[in-house]
Amino acid sequence: MRVLTAIIAIAVGILILLGYFFTQAEVVQAVLLDWAIILAGTATLIGIFNLITVHADKIRRREKDGVYSAILIIGLVGAFFFGIVLKPQSSFLQSVLLEGIIIPVEASLMGLLAVSLLYAAVRLMRRRADMMSIIFILTAALIFLGSVTLPFGEMPLIGTLIRPWVSQIWAVGGARGILIGVGLGALMTGLRVLFGIDRPYGGK
Amino acid sequence: MAFSLDLVTGALGFLFTVLILSYLIGDNPLFKIAVYLFVGVASGYTAAVVFWQVLYPKLFLPTVLILQTGDFMRGVLLVVPWLGFAFILMKISPRLAGIARITMAFLVGAGAAVTIAGALTGTIIPQMIATIDFFDPSLAAARNISAFEVLGNGTILLVGVVTTLAYFHFGARQKPDGSPKRFAPIDLLSWIGRIFIGITLGVIFAGVYAAALSAMIERINFLINFLTSLLGMS
Repeated sequence: MRVLTAIIAIAVGILILLGYFFTQAEVVQAVLLDWAIILAGTATLIGIFNLITVHADKIRRREKDGVYSAILIIGLVGAFFFGIVLKPQSSFLQSVLLEGIIIPVEASLMGLLAVSLLYAAVRLMRRRADMMSIIFILTAALIFLGSVTLPFGEMPLIGTLIRPWVSQIWAVGGARGILIGVGLGALMTGLRVLFGIDRPYGGK
Repeated sequence: MAFSLDLVTGALGFLFTVLILSYLIGDNPLFKIAVYLFVGVASGYTAAVVFWQVLYPKLFLPTVLILQTGDFMRGVLLVVPWLGFAFILMKISPRLAGIARITMAFLVGAGAAVTIAGALTGTIIPQMIATIDFFDPSLAAARNISAFEVLGNGTILLVGVVTTLAYFHFGARQKPDGSPKRFAPIDLLSWIGRIFIGITLGVIFAGVYAAALSAMIERINFLINFLTSLLGMS
């Protein structure tokens, strides 16, 4: 089984990768990606089924937060049932589920982040006041000061010169370094899978 | 405000906004109810979207059409996804979960290939080209930037990219205390890189904080508007 899974992963990866470089391999790449989309969709459903079983177990074992698990399962089954019967693009589902529950909760959680981030920044300065933390907080304060709109317009010098210079030159330099680093890391991870060094699907 | 779907949507939005913002007074059962219900509803909705947008048009509908028309040659392309579908369903049973590895291997292989192509064409090459292009005199002239400015700012940008990459030096060994042990020049570059990373994270923090603050103001505005329209004050 270990050899078979490694052969499948390496062969599928190489065939899809060839499609990016040779036009002749594009048809095979499209078919394989189509299959991957179907299987990823099925894996998503299995993941959601696992969520139900985990919470059903909590209810069965009468755990402390079992009532919340029951609420989760009721919400999940209800949304899935109406989603299957009415289809996700129905105006009723869009209004009730998306605009009534999902978007308000996401926006409110984003709003809560304003408080959490402020608290985290204060804690950072209290617990670890090293060079990195000081640069981090000073930069954030500078960007805030430069962005704030005062009755007489932008803050002189900070808003017109320093903030754009810091955010468009200094920060872009660091961000590009981080992005290229992330890209190189992703590239190495992908290559390790294709060479069979890493086998996250099982087997050493 | 007439009793309509809009009223139901607004009332639900109001209720869930209040439940979530109740976290400001501390973790409480109302917040937990809203979060658990949100996770349940979002998961159920996702499952319905996956069924209607992926499985139905790509697997179930073509299979039904092939069975109806008897064109089994076209069905050959559906054998692998059906097998993968069956194998991955085995994950539900702990005894048969090993068979699901075949499908997982397929997904990991496809994911690795897409990741390699995405990292190269979507991140590494465009970011390198953008850094090089900063020094292009013709592009700078088109943007009305002087040569002195290009050289000064371009140098800062290039130093930022190189030193940040040096900070994430993948080949660094570990000292007994757990800190990375690097070659001295790399160590100096990574020290400069820390300054750039601090500045970058500070700018990102300010951006995220501004977005979060906007979301908070929008939610409070929504609560006030809903209440005033419900009470007929607007």
